[in-house]
Amino acid sequence: MIELKNVVKKYGESFALDSVSLKLKEGELVVLKGVSGSGKSTILSLIAGLLKPTSGEVIVDGKKISKLPDHFAALYRRENIGFIFQKYNLIADLSVADNIILPLIPMNLPKKRVEILLLEVIRSLDIEEKRESLVKNLSGGQQQRVAIARALINKPKIIIADEPTANLDARLSLEFIELLRVMKDANRTIVVATHDPLFFDLDFVDRVVEVEKAKILSCL
Amino acid sequence: MISSINFYLLGYALKAIYRERAKNIFIFIVFILLVALLASTLFLSSAMKREYMQVINTYPDIVLLHQRAMQNSTYDATVVDEVLTIPGVSNAVGRVHGKYYFAKADRVFTILGIDAFENYANPLLQKLGEKYNLKEDSMLISSSAAEILKRNYYREYFNFIKEDGSRKKVMIEAVFQLPKDITNANIIVMSNDLAREIFGYTPSEITDVAIMVKNKEETALIARKLQEQFINAKIILKEDLLRRYETIYNFRSGFFLSVFIITFFTFFIILYDKLSGPNSAQKREIGVLKAIGWRVEDILKAKLYEGLALSLSAYLLGVVVAVIYVFFLKAPYLKNIFLNNYTLLSDYRLELHLDMATLVLLFFVSVPLYVAATIIPSWRVATLDADEVMR
Repeated sequence: MIELKNVVKKYGESFALDSVSLKLKEGELVVLKGVSGSGKSTILSLIAGLLKPTSGEVIVDGKKISKLPDHFAALYRRENIGFIFQKYNLIADLSVADNIILPLIPMNLPKKRVEILLLEVIRSLDIEEKRESLVKNLSGGQQQRVAIARALINKPKIIIADEPTANLDARLSLEFIELLRVMKDANRTIVVATHDPLFFDLDFVDRVVEVEKAKILSCL
Repeated sequence: MISSINFYLLGYALKAIYRERAKNIFIFIVFILLVALLASTLFLSSAMKREYMQVINTYPDIVLLHQRAMQNSTYDATVVDEVLTIPGVSNAVGRVHGKYYFAKADRVFTILGIDAFENYANPLLQKLGEKYNLKEDSMLISSSAAEILKRNYYREYFNFIKEDGSRKKVMIEAVFQLPKDITNANIIVMSNDLAREIFGYTPSEITDVAIMVKNKEETALIARKLQEQFINAKIILKEDLLRRYETIYNFRSGFFLSVFIITFFTFFIILYDKLSGPNSAQKREIGVLKAIGWRVEDILKAKLYEGLALSLSAYLLGVVVAVIYVFFLKAPYLKNIFLNNYTLLSDYRLELHLDMATLVLLFFVSVPLYVAATIIPSWRVATLDADEVMR
């Protein structure tokens, strides 16, 4: 489903990725393991179409997304990608509902349809009673749930999570892992970039890919 | 049209304005004040120009004034017969008019004399002369003059103080509504003889001669003939009055320039602030929106809604404020700059008239500039890689 072929990403003279090749099957949960600056976030950005490789190809469902113009890359993300950021990247002064429906806004869907999609995610993540609360008034765990709800509302095939537990305590990290299991059970393809050891021994993780100094070291 | 509006995007844009409410309220108020200031200045000058032109249209083609020691003086009524002998003159009327200062009310009345047997160049006098048969000691007064007299307990008559200091009681025969084309509101119409008595003129004295010509293109030629015949006369042509307006307008252009400079200077400070670009939180937000599937055009559309909502509403409110200030409150303070004190005492009227050219000019120097200043910095950020924006 996702394939990176000899991907090189350079910033000036320094390599963010150096001849990386990787294949992910549909419904697979892959953890990218590595220290900060190793290149795992760059892999996520390439899969999401946020970055274009200096050379090589990124293919998703047979489409060369590395060649997509900006306009189509955005449409690709809108239809296929759910992004969970390290710092949630929510808009603090907006309500929970307003944050969650952000990916749907450019689609200009009917109000009823938006409401159905919203109710579906906030119920599944147990944040329905917080829907009108401002995000800045929520706890870290609740914000994480809002971020996940925003990533899921457009029913993406691929979920990308960049250091999702970096800002969470142990209890909330475990809670996130439970949510990850639910997403995996829903047959979503999931790529998680993390250096949190909690992820490396999970029974539902299909593969742990070790990234170091812009290269893939091992694929366990 | 409405179905093509993305109301979720509009809602997002309005909430973006609300999220930065302190800054946006400040911009909104300054924007309204700037538009109101410019619009008031332009409305006032345009309304005055319009009304001045309308008044001039009721004027005779030529006015013959007697000059003595370079001061306006009076003629003997026999001069009218002499004027009528000049070829090309279709009509000449000896007029008796002047200003009367009513000290108690601190107001100036314009007294116009009429004579039932004469054909007037002024349509108002023509109409009043036909409608009313003025008695010896009575007068017709405009509604605003009536209002001033009423405030001072003169409901049925008024005691004029004559030139020699004695009083003259004059009954109010009727109150008339002024037609729209008369700007000077406090008008009193009475017989020529009564006007002469109040001003202290002799029974054959006239203030000036109103002259109508058959062929308008010959006006200058007739004026030359008049000047040759009446050496001490001051001859005023309708065209001269138009030119005089231009002179007054140019004299005040310094004021216009100052207003424009201050307004644009302030406006460009706002624009500069906007163009200096989004802060790091706003940049991150644009990056996040791109990452979750917003196209550059979606982001720009949201910014367009944001800029339009603020600037258009401020523009409209600014225009409303200017309309209220100029046409309903009669432009206090600002009017003093345009009119001299004497005219102010005469209660200059300002008829509501929205000059489309002014509105369009104001719109184009404010709204599109502000919208552009909102969109351009976001466009610069939105066209960068989302990954780069968020890092």
